[in-house]
Amino acid sequence: MTAIVQPDRRHIALWGVALAAPNALYLTLVLLIPLGMVATYSFFTYSTTGVALPVLTIANYAKLGDPYFLRLIGRTVGIAVKTTIICIFLGYPLAYALARARPTLATLGFFLLLTPLMVSPVVRAIGWFVLLDRNGLVNSVLMYFGADRQELLFNEPAVLLGLSHLLLPFMVLPLVASIERIPPNVEEAARNLGAGGLGVFRKVILPLSLPGLVSGAVLVYVEAASAFVLPALLGGRFVRMIGNEVFDALLVSYNIPQASMLTVMLIVLTIGVLGTGLALSRRGTVGRSAP
Amino acid sequence: MPTDRVPDLRVEGLVKRYAPQVSIGPISFEVYPGEYLSLLGPSGCGKTTTLRCIAGFEDLTEGAIYLSDVRLDRQPAHKRNVGLVFQNYALFPHLDVYENVAFGLRLARIGRREIERKVRAMLELVGLIDVSQRMPSQLSGGQQQRVAIARAVVMEPRVILFDEPLSNLDLKLRLQMRRELRDLQRRLGKTTIYVTHDQTEALALSDRIAVLSHGQIEQIGTPREIYERPASAFVADFIGTANLVKGVVIGTANGRLTIEVGRGLRLIADWQGAVPRGSVLLMLRPERIRFDLPQADAIENRFSGTLGDITYLGEDLSLAVHVDGGLELMVTAKSDARNRALTPGAKLELSAASADLHVLSS
Repeated sequence: MTAIVQPDRRHIALWGVALAAPNALYLTLVLLIPLGMVATYSFFTYSTTGVALPVLTIANYAKLGDPYFLRLIGRTVGIAVKTTIICIFLGYPLAYALARARPTLATLGFFLLLTPLMVSPVVRAIGWFVLLDRNGLVNSVLMYFGADRQELLFNEPAVLLGLSHLLLPFMVLPLVASIERIPPNVEEAARNLGAGGLGVFRKVILPLSLPGLVSGAVLVYVEAASAFVLPALLGGRFVRMIGNEVFDALLVSYNIPQASMLTVMLIVLTIGVLGTGLALSRRGTVGRSAP
Repeated sequence: MPTDRVPDLRVEGLVKRYAPQVSIGPISFEVYPGEYLSLLGPSGCGKTTTLRCIAGFEDLTEGAIYLSDVRLDRQPAHKRNVGLVFQNYALFPHLDVYENVAFGLRLARIGRREIERKVRAMLELVGLIDVSQRMPSQLSGGQQQRVAIARAVVMEPRVILFDEPLSNLDLKLRLQMRRELRDLQRRLGKTTIYVTHDQTEALALSDRIAVLSHGQIEQIGTPREIYERPASAFVADFIGTANLVKGVVIGTANGRLTIEVGRGLRLIADWQGAVPRGSVLLMLRPERIRFDLPQADAIENRFSGTLGDITYLGEDLSLAVHVDGGLELMVTAKSDARNRALTPGAKLELSAASADLHVLSS
């Protein structure tokens, strides 16, 4: 028998490395190295015959001056931002209700909230078709009441609808975690001191749940910006996002350097938002208003 | 209590029903300007619910609450101007001491200068001016308590409500805060409703106490009335310790009742009003029973007993006495050197003044 030894700090650090190592190795193999390759390819020359010519060029990035690509990036960022805003507005009341609901009700609520994540994206999109198609449920109802047939699919609102429906849980879950930690008494104290519903939200709930809001917003933004299946199915040819363009460049026009360049752009846009978000949330948790 | 004055707050027939079988009330009471009224009772007696109804966090099922003559219970919580100090203080964790106190003033859209002046004056008053930049998490329990009070008082509410504000503090701090609360109350002269389950707190702080049990007010009166002339066995037992003895009234003379409480044991108690018939409940406080008075003293009740158990309580000794005639009484004695010689089995000569015997109509 060996005696039980109190683990010292170095011990723990060593264990930490050992425990993290498999994941680090895995990520290096399947993420960092391929990403490095993608970044490299984005500076290679397009080849009609092979994957790419290993001749360094900035021609791929020069295409960003092209209005088509500017619009593409603008549309992608726009859809991601709009989706995030929709999720914030839909998510806050829902998160508050779930955080303050009785346990049984909250469990049911969480289940319903997570259902969109339980079906595959394609099936989910087909669900939207059933509703929004030219002969779909919504149009049938509209026409029954004498309205004109509406084109509800293949436009930006359809993509926003699909994305915010899918990504709402990513906003709500961190928000619930934050709001749950606010003691109900603190809200009552604010009401007792003269704060109405909006005042309580603005001066108590919002500042105290800011970390949850930021992580939710970052998650939704990142997911929305890199969306692929939903814009392809609900947006069609008209609402293309960077993800769709990458797909086409890679598998349709077989332009690997261009696909790589767009991928790099997407990552840059995402990391930019992520960095800003994390900085904001750090300020939010440490910050306090001046007297 | 004075009825010629207009009460600051009036609760009329308050009933709160949670479920068909679970309800409190009807509860009615008044609080007069500058008065310190305690709602005292065990947990679940309805005292906190009553307070939350006044603050507007619970709706009444029946009844009404008036602030002066204005109906209060139909106004939303944030328009009531009734200050509340929470049991766990409920400070805003994201705001420093200064901003916690300024919170309500800022919502009231008062000028910056005025806010600054009021907050500073309030922080001076409660002795927190030096820690005004600290966050609540950096404060001691007593300091948090004072922020909670300052935050409520700075709004100049008509009535201030306390929900067991001292129950989260340890004993020493509790006693200190109790003194501070009393000082503050004297300086401010605020009309106060104070909810507590701690009878010593209620006795020490209140002008009047309302004792609640099972959603009803059992008795409302000054601390002395409540302690010395409890209206029911519950009140007698809940406030302090009480010997409750069943007896039968067998005679009356000169405002005194003679009550037979055991085999051949008769006690004399002061009494005013109509003479109760039949069996009554008699209350003797353990510290009002003496066992060391010389026979020569003119004292109405004398009886002898045998000492049973002795419990050492530090300051006091708690004695269980088997009284001749079949009574069991608790008697409190000082734990001083004189009483150190007491041993179980000792014979004791006991005495009690008729004024210290209180008859509860059964």
